[in-house]
Amino acid sequence: MKRNTLMLLVGMVIIASMVLAACQPTPAPATEAPVVEEPVVEEPTMAPEEPEEPVVEEPTAEPTPEPVRTTRHGGWLDEIVISVVDSDSAITQIQAGAIDIFAAGLSSDALPEIEAAGLEYAQSNGLYYELTFNTYGPIFDQSTGKVNPFSESKAREALNWLIDRDYINREVYNGGALAKFWSIVTNMPDYTKVAETVRRLEAKYAYNPETAKAQMDEVMAGIEGVTIEDGKYMFGGEQVQLIFLIRNDSDKTRIPIGDYVANQLESIGFAVDRQYKTSSEASPIWVGGNVADGLWHLYTGAWSATIIDRDEGDNFEFYDTPQSAYGFSSTWQSFDSALGTPYGDLADKLAYNKFDTIEERNAALAEMLEMALTESFHVWIVDGKNFTPYREGVQVTYDLAAGVDGSQIWPYTIRLADQEGGQLKWGAPDLFVDPWNPIAGSNWAFDQAIGRATWGEAYMYDPHTGLIWPQRFDRAEITIKEGLPVGKTLDWVDLSFEPEIVVPEDAIVDWDAENQAFITAAEKFPDGTTALVKSVVYYPADLFETVKWHDGSPLDLGDFIYAWIIALDMGKEASPIYDEAYAPNAEAILANYKGFKILSENPLTIEAYSDTYQTDAEIDITTMWPSFSYGEAPWHILANAARADEAGELAFSADKADAKSTDTTSVEWFSQIGGPSLEILSTWLDTSIEEGYIPYADVLSAYITPEEAAARYENAKAFFAEYGHYNIGTGPYILSEVYLTEKVGTLIPFADHPDLSDKWARFGAPKVAAVELDGEGSVVLGGEFSFDVMVTFEGEAYPADEIKEVKGLLYDATGQIVKVIDGVLVEDGYYTITVPADVAASMEAGASKIEAVVVPYTVAIPSFVAFEFVTVK
Amino acid sequence: MGSDVEVITPKVEKQKSGLVNTLSRVMKYSGVRLLSLFITVVIGIYLTIMIANMGGYVDQMMKAAIQENVTMQISRNPAFKNMDSATKTQLTQERIQSEIERLDLDQPLVIRSGRFLKNALTLNLGRSLFLSSNSGSRNVKTIILERLPYTLLLMGTSQLILFVSTLFLALSLSRKYGSFVDKLVIALSPTSSVPPWFYGIFFILLFAAVLKILPFGGVIDAPVPKDFLGRALSVGKHLILPASSLILASFFLSIYNWRTFFLIYSSEDYVETAKAKGLPSRDIERRYILRPTLPTIITSFALLLITIWTGAIITETVFQWPGLGRITYQAIGLYDTPVIVGTTIIYAYLLAITVFLLDFIYALVDPRVKIGTGGN
Repeated sequence: MKRNTLMLLVGMVIIASMVLAACQPTPAPATEAPVVEEPVVEEPTMAPEEPEEPVVEEPTAEPTPEPVRTTRHGGWLDEIVISVVDSDSAITQIQAGAIDIFAAGLSSDALPEIEAAGLEYAQSNGLYYELTFNTYGPIFDQSTGKVNPFSESKAREALNWLIDRDYINREVYNGGALAKFWSIVTNMPDYTKVAETVRRLEAKYAYNPETAKAQMDEVMAGIEGVTIEDGKYMFGGEQVQLIFLIRNDSDKTRIPIGDYVANQLESIGFAVDRQYKTSSEASPIWVGGNVADGLWHLYTGAWSATIIDRDEGDNFEFYDTPQSAYGFSSTWQSFDSALGTPYGDLADKLAYNKFDTIEERNAALAEMLEMALTESFHVWIVDGKNFTPYREGVQVTYDLAAGVDGSQIWPYTIRLADQEGGQLKWGAPDLFVDPWNPIAGSNWAFDQAIGRATWGEAYMYDPHTGLIWPQRFDRAEITIKEGLPVGKTLDWVDLSFEPEIVVPEDAIVDWDAENQAFITAAEKFPDGTTALVKSVVYYPADLFETVKWHDGSPLDLGDFIYAWIIALDMGKEASPIYDEAYAPNAEAILANYKGFKILSENPLTIEAYSDTYQTDAEIDITTMWPSFSYGEAPWHILANAARADEAGELAFSADKADAKSTDTTSVEWFSQIGGPSLEILSTWLDTSIEEGYIPYADVLSAYITPEEAAARYENAKAFFAEYGHYNIGTGPYILSEVYLTEKVGTLIPFADHPDLSDKWARFGAPKVAAVELDGEGSVVLGGEFSFDVMVTFEGEAYPADEIKEVKGLLYDATGQIVKVIDGVLVEDGYYTITVPADVAASMEAGASKIEAVVVPYTVAIPSFVAFEFVTVK
Repeated sequence: MGSDVEVITPKVEKQKSGLVNTLSRVMKYSGVRLLSLFITVVIGIYLTIMIANMGGYVDQMMKAAIQENVTMQISRNPAFKNMDSATKTQLTQERIQSEIERLDLDQPLVIRSGRFLKNALTLNLGRSLFLSSNSGSRNVKTIILERLPYTLLLMGTSQLILFVSTLFLALSLSRKYGSFVDKLVIALSPTSSVPPWFYGIFFILLFAAVLKILPFGGVIDAPVPKDFLGRALSVGKHLILPASSLILASFFLSIYNWRTFFLIYSSEDYVETAKAKGLPSRDIERRYILRPTLPTIITSFALLLITIWTGAIITETVFQWPGLGRITYQAIGLYDTPVIVGTTIIYAYLLAITVFLLDFIYALVDPRVKIGTGGN
């Protein structure tokens, strides 16, 4: 009997230990399912822009320090081994040495674990969170007959005071996020441009539940039939109930956010029906449903920004007006911000930069920020941050917005500390999710991250500012139509303005798919046409000698022209490779395109005309590099894939593959890295060799000889024989091994890469300024007084020519900003902020504060630091 | 000779008549049985289609998801950034409509469900809506076949080891009723209430994170070994933890069940009689215990063979094992009906065929069973 009892106890102890052990890290039941509400856009985005003084020449922001020279070409590492790792065990696996880096951002709640494990990490933008309101009402008169307070802007505005953003940041994100009041990203360029306004409004809308309650009482009292009894809002004999759609998937942080907001709403007198739903469950209600149905009042939204967007002015149209791309949804249709309303008109001006000067634009942005809080179509909560962990000894430059895996620069900088060569083990949540092809292939972040190591580009995005640097060209000239708010920062671009930019008649504007011929400006615009932007890009004389594709084929002008043609041809109905799903992309390209001219073939100089512009001249260049939305490819691969497409064997897009497949025949989605596509492509290469095929021969015969074409086809076949795939780029690494089912890949350095490995070594850690502010702790009002601002980076004085501005926001005892004062440079890293006597005289006595704002050129993130002092009369 | 003929003829005729009757009975039984199984499969598959589509509600969910996805893609595409809102909206709507048509969401579910059912029954598995095979194909058949070998490897290894080892250990234990080992197994049998992925996480922590002697997951080392032997050993190494998790999770309970099962048969009167007659215990086991339990063992084994086709959803996920279980789970999460139906129809057909064959196997191994006689 005792033995039986003992056995029972043993059994129970084992079970208990198992349960306890297993309860530690919760396994994710499915990590690969695409999250529909947060699609990742990986392609290098041409969006960043920053309105600058149109004619002010500013010093070049050279992100030093002096690089150590090397003779090595291509990537720093001998081998990068990629495997799939569950994010829940990523930190443990780095600690155990199974991987060196987990190249996907972990959310803020993982930060304590990363730090406890002693790992390094890269910080980047994560999701940002908000509340979206149903603004129909105040009564759902066509359906439930219930009350909807959020039809009133004051009720929505009240929620800004009702929620404590700092509390959410602390409790849900371990303090790793930033409080957020608007759709623009906190501490990014636009936020900094109107620092005075944002600080004033943040103070005004700081957590204040009493104000929230008072304002909500006012709103509710104004709704017919609503009474307030014992602090509760009543309607028709029942407490007013709010239906709150709380998302319970994705990173799951919207559950505690939703619960907190629901608690706060209950605390001021509402009943809340908390409905926890996944994306796909909630979407038909809040996006696809009719707001008049009364099925919801609030929804916990989340969005993402994976680039350093230097002009977020279009955010207000997108998030807050029926003119949004979301205008199909009744949620957006019900926003009282259509064109013709003050909100809609201002949002429209900001979206399309309908300004003459930068001052005008920034003033509009400041006004918009105030209106955005008054209207509060959304109440923004926090800007989340992501953290990419890696072991000590790994060095990598990351993008402040996109992190490591989303950056363009990672393959050029990742290395083992103070070492050339070596192996790095790269872990990712998934790999080889969809077929790779540059035109409509895999859009998954995991695939794009690896692909970018193999693909080249004419320019390099500055990971710290969002501007671009020349990678394959020498310089550029940008001409802008006078009156447009465009400026420049970097020396490699020359900016000028002209009253009118006439497009030459022989510029090539479009593609005639039926006749396989260019369409010139004279043909498309018989009466002549003008453009807003002219771009002239100068490539180096040795471009076509030094830049080679991975299969050994030298880059040539045919690659440029072919890429331009196919990007339009696929969108033309007359084309044999027409793709209905791709057509909107071609239409988008042509919408503002005004033509190009090859001014010189060797050295290559390309002139291009466009009606689209960004406020940074650097981003207004047109390079015509043979890269597409999903990668880079030489013409000889794309041309043979296009032949297979035409023959109904392959399709560049999933949509076309589906459309062309029948019950008996299957058209494969073209993949350069595996599957049936490889054999099909190989067959077409053989056919092309036999036929001496030149694509778009009427045009490209001028740039490609039959001998060159044959040599390229042979090169591709030899590459395939060696590596087993056709992912051929000009990037610093070659995709050496591909195991699709096992989800393992290997990258090796491309020895013929034109650049030394240290080309981008100057981009080290982001030079976020460390700022100290000091002054007298007690000041007698009446005379002028000063504060010292010390600006450093890693203990060294921050060079003055890398600082855009230093200014002080002076707050008086009421908490209001009384003056914005420019800092005065004393020497590198040392500024003073002096409060004039007349300003001091106007201040209220008591506890005051000055906040210094330091904005560097070399990094998009400004630094804020405050100093409190006492003023006495 | 003549008298012989006279005597034998009625016997032959009787035998022939019996054979004809038996064949007729078997054919009739087979026909009815196959028909009933087919109807069951049809009902099962149609229910799967309707459940996977939540009776049509999934259409709304998918349309809303398409609207969101397309809108976000276009709004983030720099090519559209400066486009006027009317043109942008028009292009967005065109793209949404194209995607809706691609997924056949412009057709009512009733029509689509009929097509799904017909294709499934004819094993024309069609194309997935969202998922791609690892080689990039959207053919459901390719998606399934690509994952099948790894599922068969994991499930086959673990389930066969589990079945054989527990069967023989149970038989051995049934001879040692009341012994220490017997009581230990009984005491440990509640450990099977813990699912395999719990053991998986425990094993990963112990053997991968702490002892660092086995991998965290996956099916092969990265980089992949160059030679065949190296690859085989690498796969074997990666197989240890997930297979052990699956085995251990059912090990003691399985022994306990079989042991109890054998004990019941061991106490039958004819076994007691055999023992009283002094027959050797090995003979008793083989003739008097194992033989009557054979139909149950075969049934269990046959169902096991089907089970290994289904994969282990969460265990495969925990170990990053690229099997059918994970792809099925992903398909459910994405409402990818063709993939869900594809995996289901294979399982349904296998189950139906197994059930059908088992009826005959019972008749072969158990003389008490006759096909087509009163439902036996």
